[in-house]
Amino acid sequence: MAIEDKVFSGDTLRSGYRFQRHWDNSMAYAFIFAELGAGIYFISLLMNSLTGMIVGLVLVSTGKPYFHLAHMGVPSRSWRAMLRPDRSWISRGLLGLGAMIGTGFLYVIGLAFGEQFGIAADSGLLGLLKVASATFALVVMCYQGFAMSHSTAIGIWNSAIIPMASLLYSLSLGVAGALVLLPAAQTGGLADTQLLLLLGLAVMHVMLLHGGWHGSPGARTSVELLLQTSYSKWFWGMVIATGIIVPALITWAAPGNALLAIISGLAMLSGFCTWRILIFKIGVYEPILSMNPFHSAH
Amino acid sequence: MARMGMVFDLKACIGCNACVIACKQENSLPDGVFFTKTLSEEYGVFPMANRVFIPTICNHCEDAPCEKVCPTGATYTRDDGIVMVDDDKCIGCSSCSVACPYDQRTQMDADNFLKGLFGKGDITPFEEDGYGRYTPGTVTKCDFCSQRVDVGLDPACVVTCPTNARIFGDLDDEQSAPSKMIRERHGRPPLPEKNTKPKVFYVN
Repeated sequence: MAIEDKVFSGDTLRSGYRFQRHWDNSMAYAFIFAELGAGIYFISLLMNSLTGMIVGLVLVSTGKPYFHLAHMGVPSRSWRAMLRPDRSWISRGLLGLGAMIGTGFLYVIGLAFGEQFGIAADSGLLGLLKVASATFALVVMCYQGFAMSHSTAIGIWNSAIIPMASLLYSLSLGVAGALVLLPAAQTGGLADTQLLLLLGLAVMHVMLLHGGWHGSPGARTSVELLLQTSYSKWFWGMVIATGIIVPALITWAAPGNALLAIISGLAMLSGFCTWRILIFKIGVYEPILSMNPFHSAH
Repeated sequence: MARMGMVFDLKACIGCNACVIACKQENSLPDGVFFTKTLSEEYGVFPMANRVFIPTICNHCEDAPCEKVCPTGATYTRDDGIVMVDDDKCIGCSSCSVACPYDQRTQMDADNFLKGLFGKGDITPFEEDGYGRYTPGTVTKCDFCSQRVDVGLDPACVVTCPTNARIFGDLDDEQSAPSKMIRERHGRPPLPEKNTKPKVFYVN
């Protein structure tokens, strides 16, 4: 059945595919801030860039909570979200987020002012904080993908590729941030890493489309929405061309150029933001039941 | 212990929406919020065109994905199998909404309570009394009219249905009306491939 033959019922009382609209753009922005900030913090930690660490922590500790609270129906009860880490990725993520911000700021403060209090940069305490904050940053980089892929309701999300996409985008944006923030002399090898991550992102998109196309009717419908409707120009133009191909060409042709690194980073960020919003918009629920004998899904 | 469930007889449903109105009245549901809906589906072309009605409701899944993802424990299953929402614990994160394959979760936005039944912003004493049970911002759903079930009554949609298209009872009791109907008319759950083990079945 072609996409134009499928029934999208929206808010009407017709049976058909229904768009996921429970997680809206404010949720997408929360995801963006978390993955961008955690990625920049993680890579900056590896590259010992104090500026990068601060930028990453500020992004995670401001934009992420703000947009999450904006989305939440009863923000005053949001603390309750950390009560069920045994079963909910939202709980695990919230705990990871709090732990990352806490250990991260302690590490940054220790790094910046530790010597005044007799704490050397290579001390065991700071080493422990570094490992802990890196681990929690990894949790923040991945957990949103797990929260999406956990349930079978929305076919295109119910894929192991989704957490991997979160991790890959987070790492690549982190590397892009480091290429912008660090002097060229300190970024040896990062350009090659970025090319590999961009290649990984391209392969990830192919895998997601392939898996969706051959997956459940809902997942296939989402892929059709992405490739055959007005969303396709955003996907090809912003996510693939601007977000992956342009940065890859810049990184390959002119590594070390500060201005081009900024352009490349902004291009990646715009591709990433578009993808985050698109993946929410193309999520569909399948028809609960169809009595239509010609319906392909059932 | 009982395992409460429901069967929809698609041959009997005439799409009158009396169940929808009864549900809204029983549960004091504000503007734009439905715990049950009757969907329609048209297929074929004249002169072989056909139209069927498909009632929908929370399926009170045994393996409820909404309960699994709830970060606060607000969604829980009673001993009789009815999946409930604790209004005091819900934070309105909507993770249950995106986890439910049947899209049966509804967020109670503050705006929903403002229009009133007549759409003019005048809240009647009936609404004023009923809305108090909800906290704006929380995510709610059908609970099989648990307040009625607790005193031995059927849900409001079931008693209102003029064609007996909705049959409610204990699925663990082989002699109950829904169990017999599922057995004799080969009842099937919605989207069985989602592995949620719904306690709502459809017969045709």
